[in-house]
Amino acid sequence: MKHTEYFAMKLAGLCLGSLLAASAAAAEIVRYQGVPRGSSVKIKGTSTVHDWEVKSTLIAGFMNVEGEFPSDLSATTVPALKNLPQVSVQIPVRSIRSGKSTMDSVMHGAMNQQAHPKITYVLAKMTPSNVERKSGDPLRYDTEGDLTVAGVKKRIVMPIDLVRHGDGGLRITGKMKVKMTDFGIQPPAPKIAFGLIKTGDEVEIIFEWITKKKQ
Amino acid sequence: MNPVDPSQSFNRRNFLKGGSLGSVAAFVGGALVSAPKKTAAQESDKPVGPPVNVGVIGCGYHGRDVISTLSLLPNAPIAALCDSYGAFLRRAGRSAPKAAKYERYQDLLEDGQVEAVVVCTPTHQHGRIVQDAFAAEKHVYCEAPLSNSVEGAREIALAVKKHPRLYFQAGLQYRSDSQRHFLLDFIRTGAWGRTAQARAQWHKKISWRRTAPTNEREREINWRLDEKLSAGLIGEIGIHQIDAVSWFFRKRPVGAHGFGSIIQWNDGRKVPDTAQAIVEYPGGVRLSYDATLANSFDGDFETYYGSSAAMMVRGNKAWMFKEADAPLLGWEVYALKETFHKEIGIALSADATQLTTVTGGGNDEEANQYVNTPLYQALEAFVHNVYVHQSGVEDFILSFGEEDPEALAEYLSGLGDSKMLAANVDVGYEATVTALKINEAIVRGTPIAFEDGWFDLG
Repeated sequence: MKHTEYFAMKLAGLCLGSLLAASAAAAEIVRYQGVPRGSSVKIKGTSTVHDWEVKSTLIAGFMNVEGEFPSDLSATTVPALKNLPQVSVQIPVRSIRSGKSTMDSVMHGAMNQQAHPKITYVLAKMTPSNVERKSGDPLRYDTEGDLTVAGVKKRIVMPIDLVRHGDGGLRITGKMKVKMTDFGIQPPAPKIAFGLIKTGDEVEIIFEWITKKKQ
Repeated sequence: MNPVDPSQSFNRRNFLKGGSLGSVAAFVGGALVSAPKKTAAQESDKPVGPPVNVGVIGCGYHGRDVISTLSLLPNAPIAALCDSYGAFLRRAGRSAPKAAKYERYQDLLEDGQVEAVVVCTPTHQHGRIVQDAFAAEKHVYCEAPLSNSVEGAREIALAVKKHPRLYFQAGLQYRSDSQRHFLLDFIRTGAWGRTAQARAQWHKKISWRRTAPTNEREREINWRLDEKLSAGLIGEIGIHQIDAVSWFFRKRPVGAHGFGSIIQWNDGRKVPDTAQAIVEYPGGVRLSYDATLANSFDGDFETYYGSSAAMMVRGNKAWMFKEADAPLLGWEVYALKETFHKEIGIALSADATQLTTVTGGGNDEEANQYVNTPLYQALEAFVHNVYVHQSGVEDFILSFGEEDPEALAEYLSGLGDSKMLAANVDVGYEATVTALKINEAIVRGTPIAFEDGWFDLG
């Protein structure tokens, strides 16, 4: 009897251990970290003279996901996520450049770079997109998040696309339109020889964020 | 902004936009159209970049020119000065009263206020100072030639490559000159036809000898006349013009013949006061260059000869002289023309797309002055580029740490578009080697064939 009891207890212990291990595996957080190569964020705008574009290649930050991020692009529907990933992204304002020093000074000044040296984004909501998809398409999610520019935080809604990149990393792309005035930024109107250039309020932000799976 | 910028291409429309007012005046009175002098109001419209604290090492004649020029820049406070000769240091200090004064450059490099240094010492001292400046984590502007020896220049170039976090600029100021960049766009359209040859000169009646209160100081200050230390007229002066020609030709010389004599200043010196060089480029194209301290006639200029036109560059002005059978470009019909003996020169002016001033005949000298000298533009570029480079380093490290120095170096090399035009270390090294080898041909009195290996930094 004692022998049977011992055996039962051992079996129960093994089962419990397996359950705990499985539970621990399910709760494992995988971190996707921004890498210094391959990322870009472009801001495109208009003015009374010509369209313009500025760019940064520094997108730092991370995405913490519970378990492996879905990667099967052949799925007919985009898989739901168990929990909201924790996403925090930073872009140094000074790293956003146009290739023209005068324009950069005007832009960095308008964004109050000295007081607010970073643009930040924090994810608040992420759900599978209902957009019809074909096998091989990137996984599309609808997101909401808080974008902070020049010290002003604003909730942003945008779709993002995810695909695997490199050795277990993710490539995340997206675009959105925002108004400078929503962030308290007056569209720059620099003086030139022949008068003023007026910049359009609305700009389009297009990004490509490369991450690697942190070991 | 990265728009499709119409001002980047030289065409008739752009030329006329800037030239129309002057053209009318030219027709009625032969007035001169030139780059405008900006008013204080116009200058104030230009955003000023963050300040970079500069230290100047070497306060001799050129060093004081650098100090005066830096003092014109709104964002280049002179934090420190250094010269081992007290009289020079005191004199320079009058132009920068707030600057700390040091007699040892090592002390200046230890000054935490100094972020970047301009090295204006005698050429043979550059190497040690640049190396020590890098060790002290200072950005460096080093006057050209980088060194008085190929080995010395190579050591500097390799040190620059080893310190990608620090910005380095070679003091080839024409590379920052807006007038020459304006001409370059024009040249690249093929306006002068097939390149035939170039001729350039630097003529000045001065001795190069300087007096000093002691024999020791006199030896020190007259390093240009010491054949063991001096890169000669070609190395110390001609380097700027010869580099400009190689740049415009987009070619590296393949050989040089040189001749040197002491004609005027036979005071025991062995460094020629008059020198000629024939610099050979691929395809049979040659530059004929001469420099003399014996005669000042016609000053300094570069002239390029092509199958369709010749182009003369003189200070902040340039003219094109067309051949009779050259194709019509269109805009030249309306352009300002000036007569040179029996030739008609078509004026080529920087900033033609911006406000253009029209000055009368009595004011030519004023109009001939640089609005911003090449040295001003080179130092302006240095200060701006130091800021871009330094902020790039800081932003990268804040974003990704210091674990991947190769990625940092790649990121920094990608900032080129945000920097102002200036001579980098490769340009500085190549120009230095070229000038030193031409000087060697002069000193040896035998032709020299250039070897690719001299220019290879690995």
